[in-house]
Amino acid sequence: MASIHQHDAAVEAAQKIEMVEVEDGYTLTNVPEQSITQQFDIEQIPQQDVTQQMREESAVEDPTSWLMYGGNYQQQRHTSADVITKDNVGDLELEYLVQTGVASSMEGVPIVVPGDPPVMYQTNGPNHAKAINARTGETLWSYTYANPQGLLLCCDANNRGFAVHGDKVYMTTLDSGIVALNRYTGEEEWYTSTGDHEIGYSATWAPNVHDGKVITGSAGGEYGVSGFVAALDPESGEEIWRTNTTPAEEWAGDSHEHGAGTVWMTPTIDPESGMIHAPVGNPGPDFDGTVRPGPNRYTIGTLTLSADDGSIQWHYGESPHDVWDYDSSAPKIRVNDMEMDGETRDVVISPGKTAWVYTMDANNGRLLERSQETTQHINMWKMVPHVDEDRRVAFVPGAQGGNDWQPPSYNPETGLVYLNQHNAPHEIFWEEAQYEAGQTYWGGGLNDWPDVTNPEGWNGNISAIVAVDPVTGERVWREWISGEETSDYLWGGSITTATGLTFLGTQKGNIVAYDGENGDRLWQFQLGAPICSSLSSWYDPGEGKQYVAVQVGGSGWLHGGRRGSTVAVFGLSEN
Amino acid sequence: MPEIGREDRRQFLKVVGLTGAVAAGSEFTLSDLRGEVEGETAGELAAMGEAIRSDLVGTLDAGLLGSELASLEGQIERLPELRAMGVPAEDSTEYQTLAEPGWAIHEHLVEVGFFGSVEEHLPEFTPEHIGATAREFINTAALASALVELGYTEEELTSTVVNVVNNKERLAMWVPTKNIPAGVEGFDPENIAPLHQRASAGVLLWTDYLDTYLWQNEVLLTETILDNNYGDLKQMYAGLHLLASAAEDLAGSQELSDAQLTAALSAGAAMMIVGQEDLTNDVMRITDEMRAPRTGGA
Repeated sequence: MASIHQHDAAVEAAQKIEMVEVEDGYTLTNVPEQSITQQFDIEQIPQQDVTQQMREESAVEDPTSWLMYGGNYQQQRHTSADVITKDNVGDLELEYLVQTGVASSMEGVPIVVPGDPPVMYQTNGPNHAKAINARTGETLWSYTYANPQGLLLCCDANNRGFAVHGDKVYMTTLDSGIVALNRYTGEEEWYTSTGDHEIGYSATWAPNVHDGKVITGSAGGEYGVSGFVAALDPESGEEIWRTNTTPAEEWAGDSHEHGAGTVWMTPTIDPESGMIHAPVGNPGPDFDGTVRPGPNRYTIGTLTLSADDGSIQWHYGESPHDVWDYDSSAPKIRVNDMEMDGETRDVVISPGKTAWVYTMDANNGRLLERSQETTQHINMWKMVPHVDEDRRVAFVPGAQGGNDWQPPSYNPETGLVYLNQHNAPHEIFWEEAQYEAGQTYWGGGLNDWPDVTNPEGWNGNISAIVAVDPVTGERVWREWISGEETSDYLWGGSITTATGLTFLGTQKGNIVAYDGENGDRLWQFQLGAPICSSLSSWYDPGEGKQYVAVQVGGSGWLHGGRRGSTVAVFGLSEN
Repeated sequence: MPEIGREDRRQFLKVVGLTGAVAAGSEFTLSDLRGEVEGETAGELAAMGEAIRSDLVGTLDAGLLGSELASLEGQIERLPELRAMGVPAEDSTEYQTLAEPGWAIHEHLVEVGFFGSVEEHLPEFTPEHIGATAREFINTAALASALVELGYTEEELTSTVVNVVNNKERLAMWVPTKNIPAGVEGFDPENIAPLHQRASAGVLLWTDYLDTYLWQNEVLLTETILDNNYGDLKQMYAGLHLLASAAEDLAGSQELSDAQLTAALSAGAAMMIVGQEDLTNDVMRITDEMRAPRTGGA
């Protein structure tokens, strides 16, 4: 067990913050007036700048690091560390627990900068962050960002982790900004607002740093904003370029101004070609397409931009003119030199809420294969009759997918992608009240499982772990997760290892290791609170150990689950 | 074009007010019904058309509308060529070309406030208004005959009109902007275009997407999906032609009566709306049952 500091002003400030439910979401109260950094033994942090080359080698070429949200730029969430194997995973032991002291949303990925000792940088809601000795779990500095009053948060006070470059780490903030911290001291270097939080913009994802740019996105689609991807200068925070995802020429009238299409998860980057593959959310308003006719380009799918100037290269839409909230927000996976159709291709792999995996040509977005269904498809794309107030349709995948934001992983050793999927039905309904002047106009509403009529043919499983071959589209294995196994949907991502293992967490608090080839459960460990995060793994040559880290605690849209405040780190020695 | 069955025909005849022997559900074309249905009563459609006419006469550019309408007709006649083309090439702009004259007409109509005026003077898509519009359309030979000259068969026009009339619930979802209440969280109705503008823009935006969409998704496509794409485009462009013809008539010869003007505008918008929704369902939302078989990466 790691040490817990008696006095931590950043933790104390974060503990006072309350998330309260308001009419259409949440907001924070008791926020601190100023951001707070609490330093401890920061001398332990080796002063070695993180370079572009280090990031390009992250996790795969250099298994001692996990320098970004998705492991590497391609977001494969794969480590080449090979200490933990199918044969010895049963010996994996809890190394230490970090008590963050802040029981809030825990959706982040701890990143790890190699060194002696390696240093972990970790965030959780609401914009609380730490530098940690990754060998001992000792907190080296602690930080709480001073969000303003009056935030509009659709879903929770989420934060999904840091980006790192040079001597800085970068975190998005709930008021739709990015704050840069000195990673040796935890002190603020700069802050840049990228959107007006007073009209609903917010930010929750881990940003990405590439070739002199901090790449960030946009959230707040439920509040009628217009989405964008932006690049900032890592040293100054000044904006370099910004690309709007709802350009006026693709929309009817001025509907683009409320067109949403937000990019609220971390974009994938191919450093070789300089392409950014951004995951794009649903058009707005969510359930009424009649005020925004046409395909609503560039929503719901993959939007590929040039990292140089943000210019649009191609877009693939998974649910054109969507009215079911079928975002495609999960990070995209880039795989170069994949053998397919007798050719070597660079591909982008996208699992969406539609519960298919799309394999696209990375150069132009042409669909190469669409997989077998990953969940059930019941009443999919069925339009709800707009006749009277009680007409509604239960459909699967529901508004959570398929694949909501939870990041998929890829293993070049098995050639498979691994997905945490939702199979719970939802109901959309129209409300006759929308025709009455002066009433709110949502274009409909949504009932969440279990408060729905189960559709005929539904198998009763609310989640599934699925392995898909992106070359053939074959669903290689699928483990259905019943309500007994997990109290709610799966709400976090997976990772893979060079030895063919797949790790992920469940809402019931189990971290599980699967045999990636056949879906056999090889090991699991009960952590006592929901796991809604995505893991990371690295090899520490100083200790001769491979580690696996996971944040433990509830979070999420509609069903938060029990809160936790822990980072659990497991380790296994190579001998 | 949508498949029209016996029950569809029966429902249609009921809406347009034909019962008894004619309503037995037998096959018919619009020509068969001409003179069988009663035109409007109390001049409601005429009053609407007159109001629109008084707003807009003198603002429309007859020359521009005339030449772009001719171009639009030329593009509509190309629809069979586009079907024969199958999946467009990677750099195709064939479908964008189809939409070009439509965009020119659309932008002019936006500029002169045409859509705002039309929306102001026309009602919601109530069953009554849809029925009255359908009756007027059936009885106006000139509106249908222009489309026949462009290659539409009597059967195609009949199935389009039956499809529109029988989709009154879907049409009712398209609320005129003036009826959308304010006070929405984070959502400003000021940014919503008038109903007929949305119908027209939707047709053109979908058309612009088709070059890319069909090329990107070839692996999913079947001949049935491509046939449906063709039929749905015909439906959408029949509507766009009606709307453009009404505007051109208003700007120039004014041969249409006020009631016929209303019928052309309402029926045109309805065909564009139902057509683009059919396109979405037939071509864009491809289920596993509809798609071409997976090749397994071979």
